Amino acid sequence: MKKNTWKAFTAWVNGTAEESRPLRREAGQSAHEKHPLFHLNEEMRVRLFRWEYRAVALIVCLTVVAVLLFTVFHLPLFGEPNNPAVNEVVERYVEKGLEETGAVNMVSGMILDYRAFDTFGESSVLFLAVTSVMMLLLRDEKNISAEEDIQEAHERIIEKEASDRILQKVVSLVMPCIFLFGIYVVLNGHISPGGGFSGGAIMGAGLILYGSAFGTDKVREIFTMKTFRRITSSALLCYAASKAYSFYTGANGLPTGIPLGTPGAIFSSGLILVLDICVGMVVACTMYGFYVLFARGEI
Amino acid sequence: MTIAFELLLILALILCAVSALTSRRLLVAVVIYMAYSLIMTVIWALLQSPDLAITEAAVGAGVTGILFLTTLKKIHALKGTKDE
Amino acid sequence: MFRELIGGCLILMGVLVMVVAVAGTYRFKYVLNRMHAAALGDTLGLLLVLSGLMVLSGLTALSAKLLAIIVFMWLASPVMSHLIARAEVLTHAHIADECEVIRHDDRL
Repeated sequence: MKKNTWKAFTAWVNGTAEESRPLRREAGQSAHEKHPLFHLNEEMRVRLFRWEYRAVALIVCLTVVAVLLFTVFHLPLFGEPNNPAVNEVVERYVEKGLEETGAVNMVSGMILDYRAFDTFGESSVLFLAVTSVMMLLLRDEKNISAEEDIQEAHERIIEKEASDRILQKVVSLVMPCIFLFGIYVVLNGHISPGGGFSGGAIMGAGLILYGSAFGTDKVREIFTMKTFRRITSSALLCYAASKAYSFYTGANGLPTGIPLGTPGAIFSSGLILVLDICVGMVVACTMYGFYVLFARGEI
Repeated sequence: MTIAFELLLILALILCAVSALTSRRLLVAVVIYMAYSLIMTVIWALLQSPDLAITEAAVGAGVTGILFLTTLKKIHALKGTKDE
Repeated sequence: MFRELIGGCLILMGVLVMVVAVAGTYRFKYVLNRMHAAALGDTLGLLLVLSGLMVLSGLTALSAKLLAIIVFMWLASPVMSHLIARAEVLTHAHIADECEVIRHDDRL
């Protein structure tokens, strides 16, 4: 039995299982005909299916809610001083965070120093996500027909004709401010609230705004596929290299040779500034990449 | 006073979540989802985590909404597009 | 004391304008009318509320930030309304039934 299943599986993977498929379908059909509900008319069956679907969805939903609520009720009370899990870590972060990471903004110190590896995973997930979207939606010679090409050109003409003068004027006024604010949030991540992710999202939103006002062809003058590839990969590599250096030298508060500086200054807190810039670059490129891949199918 | 405001926000949050799920038109659901994100931003700011508030405002209310709308336009699910 | 009074009055007026805007948004039936009502709250109501807060906080960095918010919203909100109205006019097939349309050329 086991061997049979494995054989069927390999045959299915290799694509040689076509001969057995019709047989199975026939068998399935006859079994279906034996089902007492088969002779009901189509509408009734659809209605029954809808009803069943709703009932099952409700049951699954209620079960999940019940399990979650059960778990939540068994958690220790919020803010209780004797809670086991919160004592050491929180104390260490609150008392020694500033001293060990040099970041005034404790959140930045946590996510980019104590848990920088986690943040590296997040950036890689974003990169992987945009790569998969590219695999699905990127247009090239292989996956495009002439018909689609004509439609695309038509849409482009409509976009150009429908471009809005008022929007363009206001965007060219507002856009530098948005970018400056995004860069400020990224560079100031270790001093004030913000950091790589939020600043990168702001910059990406600015790029999207520019692209939707002037058309994505205009953005391509400064931001092409080549820049996208270069920026994301070099930022991820830079992140990986600096964190690898930090792990190589011991990581756990051991001296790395990078001065922490005075807390509150812009050049302080060691590697956090570099990591912030890397994350911001990746996030900004990813956001714009998502938009332009969804809208147009090419960067 | 603050507690009343927080309760109001949470009620609005639940209302937004439920109506985003139950709304028939996709465009309406997206707009309600963006409103949900804005309320969530205010709640994060009230809970004294401005980092999360900034991220939620930029990602939840901005970029995600734009991506949803772009997808709706691409699959011709908006009113007034070619297929309707 | 005097400052608090002025600030409070400004904020109250702003909230009143916002209430009028919300009521108008629900009262009207057609998109363009509703947008007209909603834009009132976005511009005048916001200006009144934030200038009230600026009067309350005095000449600090906070008022500069509030001023920046006002400038940004006064730039963004009318453009947003304009774009929504434009989309409505371009996609509505029988726009002439709803309001008077003057076409200067083919594209608006």
